[in-house]
Amino acid sequence: MRARPDSARSNISSAIGANAEYASLVTAAATGDREAMERLLIRAQEAAYRFSLLVCGHPEDAEDVMQDALLKTYQHLRQISKPEAFRTWLYTTVKNACLMKRRRHVGEPTNFVSLEQGVEATSGTIPFDVPDPSRSADQRLIDEWMGGRLRKALKGLPPSYRMVVVMREMEGLSTREVATITGFSEATVKTRLHRARLMLRRHLEDE
Amino acid sequence: MSAASDCKTILDNISAYLDGELASTAYEAIERHCQACPTCAALVSGLRDTIGLCREAASVPLPDAVRQRARDGVRRLLDRNVEKG
Repeated sequence: MRARPDSARSNISSAIGANAEYASLVTAAATGDREAMERLLIRAQEAAYRFSLLVCGHPEDAEDVMQDALLKTYQHLRQISKPEAFRTWLYTTVKNACLMKRRRHVGEPTNFVSLEQGVEATSGTIPFDVPDPSRSADQRLIDEWMGGRLRKALKGLPPSYRMVVVMREMEGLSTREVATITGFSEATVKTRLHRARLMLRRHLEDE
Repeated sequence: MSAASDCKTILDNISAYLDGELASTAYEAIERHCQACPTCAALVSGLRDTIGLCREAASVPLPDAVRQRARDGVRRLLDRNVEKG
């Protein structure tokens, strides 16, 4: 028998709840319910924006990824056969869009590490390329969003670890869903989540 | 198990413990160890706080300007496709 602390129970039920909610919106939207379609597309865009900003760190890219998620979700709804798999499809699409954006960047910093690239925990902090210092009002709002302390700590993680921790802890996806999206085994997802949590804690405590 | 090997076991299993993936006996062994080992108890507590911080932050809505752009984009797309029929 497994023992489940409260935090684990709440994460599991939130993953199941979010999937059921998405599936119900997808089903309603596919039958022409405009309100469901609007809600679904807004949620998909917000998820895309959060993922892109937290994992890749570029607000301009996040706007583009958000637009891309809107169009692709709208097109995908016409051919969807498994509403319960929508969330996995969405994050796979968003992850790929983020990767494409990063590859297309002109003057890519030499320290860029791709999302797929594994970096061992022992290698410590990977330098994270930061966007242009001339920040717009929008940029300032985004910097303040969600607490600068945690975002700074997230930036200190290797990209593939950051991606796992964002999807598991913040987007509420299950280990299996993250494995499907990233192409990692479930064991690798668990290992990276474990190391990412330890690194995050260290970064937060070092401040 | 010696105290040191207990600490190593905690470090290896702390995520599984916090995620409720351990069998009851292993779970209880960690609980017992943490009652006697302040270092491991602090580690567990620190990680629990870190996870809590992430989950709390995830519930913060995006800036209004971003949410408004998302809503506008959706309405434009849907209106355009209604017009096209």
